[in-house]
Formats: sequence, C-alpha cells, structure tokens
Amino acid sequence: MDNNAFLTYSPSPHIKSHITTRWIMIRVCIALLPACVMGVIYFGLNALLILALALFSAVASEFIYLLIAGKKIKEIAAQFDFTSCVTGLLVGLTIGTNYPWYAPILGSIFAIVVVKMLFGGTGKNLVNPAIAGRIFIFMSFQAVVGEWLLPSIGSVTGNSVTTSATILTELLNGTASQLSNWDLLLGTGMAGCIGETCKLALIAGGIYLAARKIINILYPVLYIGVTGLFSVCLGGFDFSLFLPSILSGGLILGAIFMATDYTTTPDTTLGNIIYFIMLGLITAGLRFATKMEVVSFAILLMNLLVPLFDKFIITRPFGYKKIKKEKNNG
Amino acid sequence: MSILKARRFPFGSRIHGTKLSRYSPIETIPSPDFVCISMSQHIGAPAIPVVAEGDVVKKGQLIAKAAGPVSANIYASIPGTVEKISEITNGLGQKQTHIRIKNDFTGNEMLFDDLKDRSPSSVVERVALAGIVGLGGAGFPTAIKLSPKSPLDILIINGAECEPYLTCDDRLMLERTEDIYRGMKIIAEALGLTRIIIGIEKNKPLAIEAFAKYADIDVVPLRKQYPMGGEKQLIYCTTGRKVPVGKMPFDVGCCVQNVKTVLACYEAVVLNKPLTETVLTVSGHGVKEPKNLKVPLGTSFSSLIDYCGGKSDDTVKIVAGGPMMGKALVSLNQYTRKTDSGILVLTDKETNREKPSNCINCARCAQKCPMRLMPMMIESHFLCGDYSGAERYGAMNCVECGLCAHNCPAGRALVQSITAAKNKIREMKKNG
Repeated sequence: MDNNAFLTYSPSPHIKSHITTRWIMIRVCIALLPACVMGVIYFGLNALLILALALFSAVASEFIYLLIAGKKIKEIAAQFDFTSCVTGLLVGLTIGTNYPWYAPILGSIFAIVVVKMLFGGTGKNLVNPAIAGRIFIFMSFQAVVGEWLLPSIGSVTGNSVTTSATILTELLNGTASQLSNWDLLLGTGMAGCIGETCKLALIAGGIYLAARKIINILYPVLYIGVTGLFSVCLGGFDFSLFLPSILSGGLILGAIFMATDYTTTPDTTLGNIIYFIMLGLITAGLRFATKMEVVSFAILLMNLLVPLFDKFIITRPFGYKKIKKEKNNG
Repeated sequence: MSILKARRFPFGSRIHGTKLSRYSPIETIPSPDFVCISMSQHIGAPAIPVVAEGDVVKKGQLIAKAAGPVSANIYASIPGTVEKISEITNGLGQKQTHIRIKNDFTGNEMLFDDLKDRSPSSVVERVALAGIVGLGGAGFPTAIKLSPKSPLDILIINGAECEPYLTCDDRLMLERTEDIYRGMKIIAEALGLTRIIIGIEKNKPLAIEAFAKYADIDVVPLRKQYPMGGEKQLIYCTTGRKVPVGKMPFDVGCCVQNVKTVLACYEAVVLNKPLTETVLTVSGHGVKEPKNLKVPLGTSFSSLIDYCGGKSDDTVKIVAGGPMMGKALVSLNQYTRKTDSGILVLTDKETNREKPSNCINCARCAQKCPMRLMPMMIESHFLCGDYSGAERYGAMNCVECGLCAHNCPAGRALVQSITAAKNKIREMKKNG
C-alpha cells in the first residue's frame, strides 16, 4: 500500500541514547584543550604549529586512506567520528618544540595509517595509535634532537634550573631535584614535551571526562597511585619520592588520556582493575630498571595483553551459581 | 514508607524518555464501526474460530476457543455481524487468521454467570475461560501461572512500567486502585498466598500513595531504572531473591502478575466480564494529543491514531508496544491485541536511524546489561558464526530488554544479534 511508504521498519529498541562515538570523541578533544593552551603558553607559537600539523596530518591521512580505499568523500565526512583528531592532538602533545617540523606529520601518519587504519579503523586497532605514534617519533628523532626544552616560564619557587634533562631522569639518576612539587604540578621551570608539563591542565581535563562519564576516574587514579606506591617501595620506602614520581614524566597524560582508551582496555570492571594495577607495577618497575621515561612503553606492552583479559575475565550472568564439582574419592 | 528508600538492582540504566500522557485520564473510545480480531493474541497455539461468516454475535460472546492447554479463548469485543473470517497479513508482517465483525450498535452484551464459590479451582477455571493472558506483553496464559507445580509464598504485582512513553498502568493504578486491590486478593487466594508485594517505580508517586493505604499489601517503591519491569529484576528488587540462571520465578517461590492482568482477573471473577477490552497509551511526538484509551480488542491502529488527533507529517515510525521492546509496523493494517500496551507514533527526531559504525569497545553495553552479559563479545562471536562462543558469553540469558543497543555509541544492533544468536544456539542444540 502506498500510504505506508513513510513507515520505517526496524527491530527494537526504537529510541536511542544521545551518546555516539562522535559525541564522546568531541568531548575528549575538549578535555585536551586546557593542556594544548598551557603548552602554547609555555612553549610559544612553535607549539601551536606542531599541534596544528599533527592534528591536520592525522585527519588528512585518515581521509586519504579512505579515499584510496574507494569511499566517497561525502560518505567519509558523514562517518567521520573525531577519533583521528584525538590521536593527532595526543601525538602533538607528546613531542617537544625542538623537534623538526616533519616529526609530528610523520608521527600522525604512522599512528593513523599503520596502527589504526591498516588494522580496520576505529575500534579495531591492537594498540593505542597515539602511543605508537609517540614511540615512533621518540625512536626516530630522540638521538638527533637530544634533550627536552625548558618552558618560557621559570620555576615559581625561584630556583633556576640549568639542566635540560627531564626531572624524571634526574630523579632516577639520583640527582637532587631543585624543583618543588608545585613546580611539577604546574610544569613551570621543568623541561618536557608540550602537553606533559602542565599536570594541572591534564587533571582538569580528566575531571571533565569523569564528570561526563566518558572515563571511570577509578582507573587513572589506580594507575597513578600504584605507580607512585611501587616507586616508593623500589626507592627504599622513601615517601618523598611519591609525589615527584607521579607528577613527572608522561604519567598523568598517559594515565588519563592514553591508558583509558576504550579499544585498548579490557571490557570488565575486574579486568580493568587488574589491568591498571599491572600497568602501574610495570611502569614503576621499568622506570627504575631503565632509568628512562617508560609510560608509553608500559601502555604499549599492556595493550597487547588486552585480548587475553577479554578472553579469560568474563562476567557471570545475573543469578549464576558456581557448579560445585563433586569430589572423587577413588 | 519512604520514597527515598527506593530499591534498585545493580547495572541497568536510566532512560531519558518522556511520559507525555501521564496526566490524561483514561478515555473510553466510541464503539468502532468494525473490529478485526486476531486469533494469535497470546503465546501458544492460535485459537480456533467457533462462529461462521454471517453469524450475529453479542459483545462478550465466545468467537474462538483455546486450542490446547497453552492457548486462550477469544470473545467478541463489539456486538454485530461476523463479516469475514480470513487470513490477513497484519502490520507486523505476520499472517494470522482474523475475524472481522461489523458493529450493529445495539449494545447487546453477554456476561458469565455468577461464580458459585471463590474456591481456587473455580477462580482458575474462570480466568482460563475468560481468556486472560499476561497483559504486560508476554501473553502467557494466566491460568497456567495460577496453577503452579511447586509451592509459592509471595505474589508480586508488577506496577513498574519502566518503558518510556507508556502510562496506561500508571493511570489504571490511580483510577482503579480499589479494583486492582481486590484483584490481587482474588489471585492471592487462588494461589493460597497471604503475602502480596506491589512494586512501583518512584516516578509514579501518586500510585505509590494510592496503594499505601492498604495495610495488608507491601508497596515497594523502586528506583526509576530500566528494565525494572523485567521479572527477574523485579523479584530481586522486591524480595532480594535471585532467580538462578535458566530457572523461572516459581523456582524461588514467586508469582509475578502485571497490574492489567490483575484487573482483568477482577473483572472476570467479580464482574463476570470476559477479556474484551484493553487499556493502552497512544503517544509519541508524532501524535497531536497523546492519550490513554480504553479500547475494544481488534480496533484498528489507524482509527486510534486519528482519534488522538492524527499523526503529524514528520512521522517516520509507528510502534506497537513500548519504545524499547515494541515492534515497528510495516503497514497500518494492524488491530489491537490483548497484549498491546501502547501505540507510539515517532518522529525522525525521536528515533535513531543512523548507520552502525565499528565497535569502539567502550563496554557501555556490558556496564548497563541487567543480566550482566557482555553484548559486544556475543555479537562479535555471532557475526563470525561462532555460536558456541556466543553461548559461552551467556547469550541464552539475554532478556532482550534492548539496553545494550540503546546505549551503544556506535549504534550497533547488539540485542538483535543476540536474539539471532539465541535462535542459532537453539537450532544447534536441536540438531545435536
């Protein structure tokens, strides 16, 4: 009958929550904004250029990949879900301003094309694309670039720091730190990459994500807490190590924005708790073993174990009772 | 009794839905020109027509009798002439035998004789005779539920009405409190029970108040949470008992009845009326005036929508039932059945018609699942054809509430895949 043409047939449910992948990813981008702004304030317009290049090349490489794969530009735009924006921003935030201009471009292309798209696009990647991109840049350019740059704003406590090694390396090598914990929190007078210096901005973003129920605040807190406590243990129960070890390096950025990536975390609550505790132990352990910043390597390693978590830690249905095995006496 | 103490169950979710017709009282529609009564309004075998074309029937006259133990009698809902008995394709795309009756507006009505005694067996017999089935949506013959094999100790009345949009149970509880109360007593006596619990979601404070005045029933306010009206969830919230996997409510000594079913039992036993009418909600933003209506069975959906002011131009979907578990219509050739609790006329804004994208493993489905399953894992196993893998993740326990698909940011058809997986697993087990 013609008068029924307006009817759409579909199985239930007929109403849907307003949360979509795009909605989530736009919120994650918003949560990254404070860190980007602080990065630009600390490191100048050069930082803005790096962030823009990383963001643009991430989005462009996704579009070009899909065009080569034979999709129409309208279709790609309609299905664009902002995940590559998050990846691009994270890649940009994890490199320093003294890197050559093509470093963020190469990093974003590697992250999007090799790590994400070749494995099947959003949600199919084995490891977090931003982590892989960061490691790719770190491996390729660290020897050339050498050391991290200091931000333009000096230490709030007035200590002038002449060394340009990151505070974490100093700590691990046993050099006495001249920075207070406030400096570490604000990232003032502390060398590092664009996004990792100002911890306060990252924490603000994390609180926003938790308030929006995009991430569960328990998991990053667990990761950071376990890393801090295990560092204290490894450092001979020196509790003054606790705050510096959690506030230095890329731990906060990694814990809030990278380790909580949906695709590369287990699906169950129990699985997640075990995952983040293991992540904390590995991070602290590797830091003391290698005297290097290893958050991204730890996350990469644990990402690869996620399929095992999902295979062996599964939920039990409501009303499930364990079937007791009868003991055989014979 | 405090509303603050509302009970809840772990997992589940709040759904932002509007109860548009909450304050509109139940209206009785004028007797329709014709009705078209389906023979399959319940679970089990279709009823067998006992009238022939051309017969003159009264309202409340038996027109089809139950075909076997799991089936139900069907009565004429208006007086008139039987025009046609034929198989037609209804709005859900199912081929069913329908009896079409043309109204003669004489108002002739037939009632049962008074019950001689209210003994359990005669009450159950009357409920079976009146053709009463579970009116919450399942359509399982009530008489079978009232003759349990194992001893029970609690009767639970389901007044949760957790589906958005639907308000008919809410209105019934307000307007016919006394009748529902008496119906509960009748059912409790038939089952030999003394403890009656009614669970009502706390977004219906007036209904909670209305039932609080009866001293011999417990009113349990429930948190507004979907799917609170599911049997297992309701039993857990009201009694704290968990129905084990693969077991039925009577295994934990509970009998769950819907408010509407209770009312139908009251009408059959006390007022001697067979089940010929149902109360349903016509709602959605596509309809001009959302209303609660009391309609004869077999009234056409299009006449009901017209009665509520007609549908707007941007209507894209018409649903029989609630928005979460109801079925969309393929044509307007649909007539009210016993189990219908709503007709939703939905506009483009309300429904989601986006294409699904890749699963991002956010685990929102697993966090919300009231049965604590992992829908994304079941779906991915099902799509690979690994049905035993889907079973390992508990596919058979799914209650098909639709929360996973509702909450999926990627818009994946999770509950649909699980339903299909369940069928495949059953097939697989049958074939060994």
